[in-house]
Amino acid sequence: MTSDRITLHEVSKFYGEVLGINRVNLDLTPGLIGLVGPNGSGKSTLMHLLAGLLRPSRGAISVRGCPPDRPAVMGRLVGYCTQYDSFPAGATGLRFLRTALALHGIEPGQAEHRAWQALERVGLQDAGRRRIASYSKGMRQRVKLAYAFCHDPQVLILDEPLNGLDPMGRTEMIELFGELARGGRHVLVSSHILDEVDRISDRVIMIHGGSVVAEGAIRAVRGEIKSQPIQVLIRCDRPHPVAARALELEHVVEARIVDETALMLRTRDADALFAALGDIVLDSGADIETLLPADESVQSVYDYLIGDGGGRP
Amino acid sequence: MTGGTWRRQVAVLLRTTTARSLLGRRAAPVLLLAAMPVVLALVRGLLPPGSERVGIGSSTTQFADIFHFFILRFVVFVATAVVFINLFRGEVVERSLHYTLLAPLPRSVLVAGKYLGGLVASVAILGPATVVTFVLYFLPQMRVAPSILLEAPLLGQLLRWLVVMVLACAAYGALFTLAGLRFSNPMLPALLFLGWESLNPFLPPLLKAVSVVHYLEGLTPVPPSVRAFAILGRPPAPWAAVLGLAVIVAVALWASLWCARRLEISYGSD
Repeated sequence: MTSDRITLHEVSKFYGEVLGINRVNLDLTPGLIGLVGPNGSGKSTLMHLLAGLLRPSRGAISVRGCPPDRPAVMGRLVGYCTQYDSFPAGATGLRFLRTALALHGIEPGQAEHRAWQALERVGLQDAGRRRIASYSKGMRQRVKLAYAFCHDPQVLILDEPLNGLDPMGRTEMIELFGELARGGRHVLVSSHILDEVDRISDRVIMIHGGSVVAEGAIRAVRGEIKSQPIQVLIRCDRPHPVAARALELEHVVEARIVDETALMLRTRDADALFAALGDIVLDSGADIETLLPADESVQSVYDYLIGDGGGRP
Repeated sequence: MTGGTWRRQVAVLLRTTTARSLLGRRAAPVLLLAAMPVVLALVRGLLPPGSERVGIGSSTTQFADIFHFFILRFVVFVATAVVFINLFRGEVVERSLHYTLLAPLPRSVLVAGKYLGGLVASVAILGPATVVTFVLYFLPQMRVAPSILLEAPLLGQLLRWLVVMVLACAAYGALFTLAGLRFSNPMLPALLFLGWESLNPFLPPLLKAVSVVHYLEGLTPVPPSVRAFAILGRPPAPWAAVLGLAVIVAVALWASLWCARRLEISYGSD
């Protein structure tokens, strides 16, 4: 059976008595998806399960129509950049990739060509013949990425792939993730640095304590959190009359002047605020320059869901 | 996937496993073990010859003793334990097994490729060591007749000793492949197994059959001379010995495949 979806149905994983993930249900269409959660939240367990490196204690997984217990199919379908900073002893970057491709049954000449292509794509063409043991942390991260996509898989699972990369390298790799996702692939990227996920994708899976607490477009997830008023930053030339007019609206719970050119509103209904904006402008005589949701970042949404005042919506 | 792809995959696994076993850091103890009987034979050759060592028969018996009690029961046993246990366990320790498991390999291909790689590596190390030891034992006779080793019966004996060594690698290798997959600390079962194999001469005939060395002894060209404390029992006929070893290999590899299909990556708990 073929499918372009990744589905998990009531999937749990226990390590003896220890919970890995608990009753996870997901239905993922292709694209770039961020998987966020603190260390120990279950991200790597979830990724291992999707790659077939772990078997679920309960539930069913389907990766584009394939159950993960079929390694001969899964190996072609999935490319996985794990968090493990380890490599086969003595391997050079080129040999590492060439062997991986040879294990796919690819002819030696073709394997060599594709290995060089992958190395070039991650900027390691000059270091291909060097031993991986002599690579910097960032280079090791890049060669693991090359390993994950060198066989052109339809599903890419990248566990903390930006660890150890410098800012320039991070930008390059984030662009690469986008390129890879544009070909109709699933690209699942995990990070415990929430600000980083904002740069990677606006689709997220938020995981905490082994459970998925939210999944979807970050703006939609934010909109679901009714308990926390949404913050909207308004830049304008007359913030005081705008604040006074906005506070007349029933759903606006707070108006705070940031400086002479900006104010922050907190509203329980952002859509209603945006709809009323035309009247506010007319009544206050202000010239509004920009209007920005101020807490639709992954960090703030995660804080609302998991933080002190948060909880499962 | 086609049979051609599987063959290529087995060939890649065989090549990488053999290279790792022969050139990796775990090769050092195996090479050291293989050198032990050679060094013993060299020391024996350096000692002034006594009257009991002049004849071919004497050298044949002495080589049979060192093969039975040192090469087979210790060198081959420990060397195959190091090589085959580390086929999987070594990669778990190095945290690189996930690369192998992420390849599109049916687990049967994975087990077959790694096992064959381990077999080639162990035979490549222990085979030459056996030949050199044998040659050194017959140096006094070769001084008189240089081509003596190329003639029957010594050439035939050497070939049979080599066959026994290869079959020992195959049988112990299959069992240690299983141990490496089944146990997170396979050294303890390996030591218990070593004890069992060492006790073999003193076991009653029925229990002798539950050991590898019992079948190997059925194939050796010359029995050991030291049997003072042994409970005598006839070694199996060659056909029964080969059959017994084939059953041991088949069962151990089948169980290894069963374990490999349930293999998970959880380095933290290993």
